[in-house]
Amino acid sequence: MKMEMGKLGRILLVLLFMASAAACSKKNVPVQPGFGAGGPGADGYGSGGTGEGGYGSGSGGGGLDDAKWREMGINSEAEKQEFLAKVEGFENQDVYFDYDSYVLSEPAKKILDTKVAFLKRYPKVRVTVEGHCDNRGTNEYNLALGERRANSALQYLANSGLSSANLNIVSYGEERPLAGGNDESSFAKNRRAHFVVTY
Amino acid sequence: MTFRKSLSFQWMPWLLLCCVLMVWAGTARAQERVTIDITQPSFERIPIAIPDFKFLSGQPQLARQMGETLSQDLDNSGVFRPLDPRGFFEDPQASGLTAADIKFPEWRRVGADFLVRASYQIQGSSIRLEARLFDVPGSKMILGKVYEGDARNWRPMVHRFADEILFLLTGEHGVFDTRIAYVQDMGKSKEIFIVDFDGGESIQVTNNQSINLSPAWSGDGQDLAYVSYKDGNAKIYGMNVATGSQYLISGHKGLNIAPAWRPQSRQLAVTLSEGGNPDIYLISSSGDIVRKLVQSWAINVSPAWSPDGKRLAYVSNETGTPQIYILDVGSGQKRRLTFSGTYNTSPAWSPQGDWIAYNGMVGGRHNIFIIRPDGGGARQLTHGEGDNESATWSPDGRMIAFSSTRQGGSAIWVLQTNGTGIRRVTKGGGQELPDWSPRMGGG
Repeated sequence: MKMEMGKLGRILLVLLFMASAAACSKKNVPVQPGFGAGGPGADGYGSGGTGEGGYGSGSGGGGLDDAKWREMGINSEAEKQEFLAKVEGFENQDVYFDYDSYVLSEPAKKILDTKVAFLKRYPKVRVTVEGHCDNRGTNEYNLALGERRANSALQYLANSGLSSANLNIVSYGEERPLAGGNDESSFAKNRRAHFVVTY
Repeated sequence: MTFRKSLSFQWMPWLLLCCVLMVWAGTARAQERVTIDITQPSFERIPIAIPDFKFLSGQPQLARQMGETLSQDLDNSGVFRPLDPRGFFEDPQASGLTAADIKFPEWRRVGADFLVRASYQIQGSSIRLEARLFDVPGSKMILGKVYEGDARNWRPMVHRFADEILFLLTGEHGVFDTRIAYVQDMGKSKEIFIVDFDGGESIQVTNNQSINLSPAWSGDGQDLAYVSYKDGNAKIYGMNVATGSQYLISGHKGLNIAPAWRPQSRQLAVTLSEGGNPDIYLISSSGDIVRKLVQSWAINVSPAWSPDGKRLAYVSNETGTPQIYILDVGSGQKRRLTFSGTYNTSPAWSPQGDWIAYNGMVGGRHNIFIIRPDGGGARQLTHGEGDNESATWSPDGRMIAFSSTRQGGSAIWVLQTNGTGIRRVTKGGGQELPDWSPRMGGG
């Protein structure tokens, strides 16, 4: 299954490359999202290796043809721009957790509600929820805790009526901190669920 | 704990060439050997003099390196206190190696209980190393060995002699041929490395630019299991350390983490979340689930086997905070081991079965503790210098390696469990999750 996804990702990447090369000669296509723009997905972790498999790969809106866009309910350049802007906002907004907790706070639920609205507007979009922790705990415990956090967010999305077939999770525990500091403000930024859109 | 005894030192082919027992001094019959009980609380390190080795032919610069390597080994054993060679009274290159040549009263004045004299000759690519141990108060030789082989492998020969000394005087083998696997933060990725236990040579064994975690030695020291994101999510892989060949161990849906080889078997305890909850399973080395070992609604991670493979220490947060529990694998009964503190993780069962090391949070900092498997005798081994985590035992149970931020960046450190010393193993920083290998060779 994962192998297939990796292969699919590579094929899509090649297509993306060809399409963007073609696009340059036609029209200026906006910056492609998809690789966790703005988030930690953009820092190149694991890239260049055997591929990122299940997370964020195979995306890249720049490579989609008009039929694909229409399938997603996007029928004009303006709608496309609106979608891409929303994707960026979607991926840039993390949900935060308390220390050693995977309980969703009220502010977290509000953020998730905006994600639900987006995903209902674009039901073809797939989302990977990444669970992250601060570095104070133990690596293995934090891998499990990160999965719990991702699951909390995923459960909330599914309970809000979204198809869980389009939702995926991965835990990175404390292995991919967003903020490097050893202070509470860095810790708080790292205790998060991060969302990566694939389409 | 018994480790498979074999002569398969993959990186020590010299051993196959030759390791000749030369002389036992006529006086060194077993019943006359000095055996020192190092478990006594009053134990003090034994003073030993190790002058430069005597150079007979080829590569004179090794004379000092060999002496220093032997000193370092014996110092690391926690049993000996090598004396500073600057206080020695004679030129090691000018004096002889037989009991008749040695000025025992002078060595007694220096404070040595034991003395090592050794010589070497290198011809072409081969070396002949002759090493002797003298009992200074007894004015006699008690151990003599000759090693022959590839000159590039002088270091393992010296380690071997260190082990002979330790075995003769304590009745126990050392850990001089053991290594520590660990995780190195490379900035964009985390890769697995292996370092000689004395901090000597360090080699990189994964190179996939992904996140690699939790190296775990198999009981025979041939394989390393580890967790990698190289295929997107956390799966458990294995590698044969000598050949570098890699294989998938566990690729179930969800998390595949925390590998721990069951002693005397090819099975592993691991944490999988394919059932929705991170629980502990017993699996084969090809990932087939044998059975679920620990199940609850809680997080269950970090399994650590007792040396007989009958019990399993692990971490669960079923009471709300992570604590260490012990599962009796046969009966399925589990009991809580740690009650003090709100964050106790990373259990490691000592190879002798008498202690469990773990890290506990005190005042917001992780420190290394040991506790008896029955819950008694808890002792704190590190005290408030940075974070100290991921304890792993040396095969002889005398040392614990762990990661510590006491000098800034996380590095691997080793402490003597009898409190006689602590030393840093890795340089730079970004090292974590150490796992100490079993003994590699014969004993």
